[in-house]
Amino acid sequence: MMRKGGLKRKSKAASDIPSSSLADMAFLLLIFFMVTTTFRKEQQREVVFPDAEATQKLEEPRKDVLHVYVETDGAIYINDRLVPVENVSDVIAPLWADNRGLVVMIRSDRDVSYSRIDQILKELQAAGAVRVAFYTNLEQRMVRERR
Amino acid sequence: MPLMKRKARPTGDIPTSSMADIAFLLLIFFLVTTVFDEERGLRIVLPEAAEEVEVSQRNILHLMIQPNGIVHVKRGESPQIDPQPASAIAAIWRQESAANPNLIAAVKTSPQAPYRFMVDVLDQLQLARADKISLQILE
Repeated sequence: MMRKGGLKRKSKAASDIPSSSLADMAFLLLIFFMVTTTFRKEQQREVVFPDAEATQKLEEPRKDVLHVYVETDGAIYINDRLVPVENVSDVIAPLWADNRGLVVMIRSDRDVSYSRIDQILKELQAAGAVRVAFYTNLEQRMVRERR
Repeated sequence: MPLMKRKARPTGDIPTSSMADIAFLLLIFFLVTTVFDEERGLRIVLPEAAEEVEVSQRNILHLMIQPNGIVHVKRGESPQIDPQPASAIAAIWRQESAANPNLIAAVKTSPQAPYRFMVDVLDQLQLARADKISLQILE
């Protein structure tokens, strides 16, 4: 092979990974997660949940869980709508018909009188939604002993 | 004579190589600190509306929750009432259900009692692995 004097040498391929775009990628991911994260709107409700040692994690997917909030004064909120107690079964029945795996999560304030809870349970029974859970905070044994 | 060396000129561009590290740190920070609100609580299955089962009094442990949180324990047919704190229910259940495996816990809560007393008793029963629990209102 003859080497021609005038030929330029082939430009060597750069040996390092282009790191300037790495930042762009990372920021894109960051922005993607920031934008897609939705926080549940915190209701301005002063509900204090009861504590229980036997608290279990529910295995049901989120879409199967219906939250029923009961405030200190006994007001009932289902899907952020105030529902009079006698209408609870009318609200739950179609939801139960749509989804047989529905679990009704009763998120009640700890000081609500039991008569209100009993009314709700009777309404749930009337609607056929018999799978119920009472929302509780996990209580450590130590806390209980101190009380 | 050798010329004086030129001072190194400061480079004009911002160092971009560390930018990725910063961005990834932020990314990882947010990934790690995000906590999802998980669903947790005490589960119970209510009886169907029309479902009514005759249960022999012998197989029922009555737990009557008073408005002050004291639990009146009544065992089956015996008329004797035994006031107990809610925290003692798990031990009582273990003892009673060992003697009678068909035992049903009938939790009867006074309408005036706060909800948390019922949860305390339900908690104790679930700790003691009771599976036959009936929630009623105290009349």
